[in-house]
Amino acid sequence: MDWIIAIFKLLIFPGFGFLFACAIFSEWFDRRLIARFQGRIGPPIFQPLADFLKLLGKEDLLPTGVNEKTMAALPIISMAACLTAAMYIPVAGTSAFAFEGDLIVVLFLLSLPSLLYFLAGWSSIGAYSIVGGNRALLQFFSYEVPFLMALSGPAILSRSWTISEIVVQQTVTVWGILVQPVGFLLAMIGLIGKLKRDPLDIPKAKSETVAGPLTEFSGRKLAIWHLANQIQTVTGIFLLVNVFLGGGVLNQLLPTTFLFFFLALLILIILSLTSAMYARLRIDQFARLGWKRLIPLSLLQITFIVWMGRG
Amino acid sequence: MSRIRIPIGPQHPLLKEPLSFLLTLEGEQVVQSDLRIGYVHRGIERLSQTRSYIQNVHLFERVCGICSHVHTTTFCMGVEALSGLSVPLRGLYLRTFLCELERIHSHLLWLGVLSKNMGFDTIFMYAWRDREVVMDLMEELSGGRVSHAANVIGGVRVDINDAQRLTMTQNLNTLSKKITSLRNIIDHEQSFHARTRGVGILTEEQIRQYCIVGPIARASNIDVDLRRDVPYGIYDKLTFSVIARSEGDVWSRTMLRIQETQESINLCLQILDSLPPGPVAVPAKRRVPPGEVICRTEAPRGELFYYIRSDGSDHPARVKIRTPSLTALAILPDQLKSINMADVSAIVSGVDLCIACADR
Amino acid sequence: MTKIHSWIYLFPKIWETLFETPITGRYPFEPLHLPTGFRGKVVMQAELCVGGGLCVRDCPSFALKIDRFGKQQFRITYDPLCCAYCGQCEISCHRGAIQLTNEFHPATSHYQNLLKILVERNLPENQENSSS
Repeated sequence: MDWIIAIFKLLIFPGFGFLFACAIFSEWFDRRLIARFQGRIGPPIFQPLADFLKLLGKEDLLPTGVNEKTMAALPIISMAACLTAAMYIPVAGTSAFAFEGDLIVVLFLLSLPSLLYFLAGWSSIGAYSIVGGNRALLQFFSYEVPFLMALSGPAILSRSWTISEIVVQQTVTVWGILVQPVGFLLAMIGLIGKLKRDPLDIPKAKSETVAGPLTEFSGRKLAIWHLANQIQTVTGIFLLVNVFLGGGVLNQLLPTTFLFFFLALLILIILSLTSAMYARLRIDQFARLGWKRLIPLSLLQITFIVWMGRG
Repeated sequence: MSRIRIPIGPQHPLLKEPLSFLLTLEGEQVVQSDLRIGYVHRGIERLSQTRSYIQNVHLFERVCGICSHVHTTTFCMGVEALSGLSVPLRGLYLRTFLCELERIHSHLLWLGVLSKNMGFDTIFMYAWRDREVVMDLMEELSGGRVSHAANVIGGVRVDINDAQRLTMTQNLNTLSKKITSLRNIIDHEQSFHARTRGVGILTEEQIRQYCIVGPIARASNIDVDLRRDVPYGIYDKLTFSVIARSEGDVWSRTMLRIQETQESINLCLQILDSLPPGPVAVPAKRRVPPGEVICRTEAPRGELFYYIRSDGSDHPARVKIRTPSLTALAILPDQLKSINMADVSAIVSGVDLCIACADR
Repeated sequence: MTKIHSWIYLFPKIWETLFETPITGRYPFEPLHLPTGFRGKVVMQAELCVGGGLCVRDCPSFALKIDRFGKQQFRITYDPLCCAYCGQCEISCHRGAIQLTNEFHPATSHYQNLLKILVERNLPENQENSSS
């Protein structure tokens, strides 16, 4: 009997089916909201699904001289990493498979797609891809350290590295964002860098390198890359809601569900707003920003938390 | 570090029109760049010798889509000078009105393209949304958004009545407020500053050496504007100020073009206020007396130069066009040395090339 | 001047744009507003045409062609694919016989459907079958 429940959790809720639906919805909502900010109408609800199905049906070409097995494996591993990370993140209070110390596993799994992005650029040996891949790696070093440090703040406060424990601790005390707003800000900036959205979409800057590391991908591989990026968005947002906003946990199940999805939508609105509001940074400017400002801020935040937890 | 050669090729999301750079990169630094043009060469100057003057008015409109009216204005000015015609005052006012409307729409288009290449999609959408007001005005006046076909030899073929004049004045006043708000946003936007200040600096001496004209020259402290220095049409009857700035980077070109847009809106409002009554065109003969003429006007990108030679028949013997984008192209390979790769998009967008004009 | 953040200008504009009607429209499902002087497809009022040929002479893209078979015997054909919709024929005609309408859907999958005979006048017998 257990294995039927396990398969249900893997494939339907909160597994692949639920995440696929959330990814489609979040992409639609994001594109529609940005369009309304800019005075346009925006795509209808079935547009991301239509894009995905269209890409699945397109011709899959690769340049000569690349390693075909690597190019085929990279998007699949990227999506697998995001889906596995989502297994340990509670959705409305319940997570599929939780165990002791799963925050570290989730953070590791969520940092895999960025490295695979760089590898994708390196393996497809065109000029645009190599330049995009270099930028992706440089950007990875600039946002990943503040992101990890910002996310370890709540863990230190709750004295546990399990996400479900962090959520429970926040229902007992206060929400994480009230105690460490700077940490929340750093986590949001790290999330924008990880998802490569405006203003930190430097690797795939359309006007300089045509599509960055993914220039040579097409057809099914590109569909899976795109879906992996969307699932990473959803997973990142759920992680932030759980760690900083208390997981939306209230006393009963129905209000918890509403509050959880409402908070996730709120974070998505903030992400869309920052997309619409800023111009793209240059890679050296962002590296300078990351190392000169974000990392000292995260160190200060950690010091503050340790001092508070002690006293 | 090894060198990579990147083609900013004939097709690239950065370029509006086909142009080919081959950049040699070392890491993120551009070391060398090679330029090729001629992808949109259509042989218009040769085609103009096989058509009559009346047909050529429509041919020269299609040299460029953005500055189409200015091309026909210059050509008609030249042919009218050769034939000894004098356009009635109302026709001249309407011609200048369309010229200034075209300047507004060209600068708004360029602002949107520059912002999009900086990654700032919102300003792109806002600028092009405001440009729609101007396009609707031009469509109401002449029947087409891009190809107006408003000029004929001897005047214009369009006219406006009082009701249209009132609506146009209101729309232009609304547009002026929107451009002020766009200017405020760009003025204070930190990421925009970071991408455009100090980037692509051109000194006065470089500009004189390469004979660059237009807003690029005016942004580097060279105060040249044909509308004030060699007034054609009715520019001597209108009051406007010519803007010049001294920093010479992409930032000053941006602010200069926005200020020029506001000046053009003021000019349009002046023209609408003081439109004299009367006919809009005089009839022109098909054959033009022999002679040669040079006429220059101020296109949105700089000085536009036409040389027309006629031999007494109804086909021109030779028409030579020198467009302002051709001068700006000459300095581009030099400007693209020892810069960051991310600055390439700022510089290429900041120069406001119109390759269709340059290739003809 | 750069000390003030751009948020105080950008936020109100984004908020205001969120509640305005969008500039884009759902084209085939919404009516399209055309101005009065819109230059669309060319039509001819055949009874007014006398075969002057000014429109043919002044067309910049050679979209109008005239075949003459004698005095007051002619046929004028029009090719919408070559036409540049400039309106010169309308200006040149002394009788006002040729005009530009508001129609702008000339797309078709067969080129032969596009070529139109605008006017035929007193054709001799061997030219009765027009094969355009």
